[in-house]
Amino acid sequence: MSRHQEDQSPDMGRILYRETHSTRAAVATAAAVLVIVVAAYGLLEAGVHAIGQPAWLIEPQVAAERLIALPAGITPLLLGAIGAVLAMFGLVFFLNGVLPGRRARHLLAGGRDAGRPAVVVDDEVVASSLARRARLAANVTPEQVMVVVSKRQVVVNVRPTSGVRVEHDAVLDAVEGELAAMALDPSPVVQVNVAPSGVIGA
Amino acid sequence: MNSTPTLLNRILIAVLGLKLLAVGVLLILLATVPAVASWWHSWSAGAWAGANQAFSATRFPGRSESWLWILVALVLLVLIGLMVAWIAQQGKGRANLLALEYDPGEVPGDVRIGGGVAEQALKHALANRPDLAGATVATYDVKGTPALKIRLLPRQGVAPHLLADEVQALVAALEAVVGKRIPVLIHIGAGARTRFRRAERVR
Repeated sequence: MSRHQEDQSPDMGRILYRETHSTRAAVATAAAVLVIVVAAYGLLEAGVHAIGQPAWLIEPQVAAERLIALPAGITPLLLGAIGAVLAMFGLVFFLNGVLPGRRARHLLAGGRDAGRPAVVVDDEVVASSLARRARLAANVTPEQVMVVVSKRQVVVNVRPTSGVRVEHDAVLDAVEGELAAMALDPSPVVQVNVAPSGVIGA
Repeated sequence: MNSTPTLLNRILIAVLGLKLLAVGVLLILLATVPAVASWWHSWSAGAWAGANQAFSATRFPGRSESWLWILVALVLLVLIGLMVAWIAQQGKGRANLLALEYDPGEVPGDVRIGGGVAEQALKHALANRPDLAGATVATYDVKGTPALKIRLLPRQGVAPHLLADEVQALVAALEAVVGKRIPVLIHIGAGARTRFRRAERVR
């Protein structure tokens, strides 16, 4: 058991990719359970048939004949509905497999260089931090600031207190300064919207 | 960070989705387009005749059942086994050991440091911070190398880069104690997130 552990760090880029993209573990489990249920039913019917017992739900012979005669023997509406439901499930699975599946997360650039820990931040945390800075810069209550963080854009919506001017550039500078300190990757663009109408009594 | 087979997941899900989609579209077309129905009759009747012939050619001598059914049952059993193995691969990759080194000193033997050392030390160091609502530390095995994942749940408005810097200092102290560089991932997250939401809204 005297195995030497090589002092090489694992591929950090790979870890970061896995942390910022969905693993589809839940969808994969659902798909596997679906296949297991269908296969278990098929296994039951095949086993029952192999030992010469009567079928449980439907004789395979009868099922196949009904399938061949398909547009007949069932109302077109029901057939179309079954088809639509199957197609919808198929589309959900297919898109889950094909789309990039990015999570709403950003990297902090400090984690890119070797030696330091890699840091991944949820967009919600970034938004709440930026909202705090914007609120302090605009001198309004937390209810009057809303921040939306997406992959390449940060939108700051400020509703000023009635009668008190909010300096658009001051808010923009504060938010951009905070973002520069965070050094997010990918780096988003800031957009500040000051609402034309104010809030009374805030 | 765990060893969930993401590429396999994508491929298998996409294949299953395509099959379901094809069957669904075929059913819709059967219900709506008469031309598809006539094509389906000719094609499926031919396929069923072939299958029938295979089943009648493989009867047990002197009995009416075909041994092809046993073959079908075995194939389905293998399929179920593969699916169970696939599920078992999801979310694997937790490790117990943080360091495993041969000790070149006079005492014979190895040095092993459990992942619990790092987990307990970091959890304790992070426990009483007012800006954190919670913190979890877990050891993972990333391609044979132990790595730490630190998940922090800060309260609203905490600047993530300052928090990350302070935790990095803790990690550096831990590395000094363990005497070994540890790959570390810090995930600063928000609790009770809803899935499928692209943009995050916070007051």
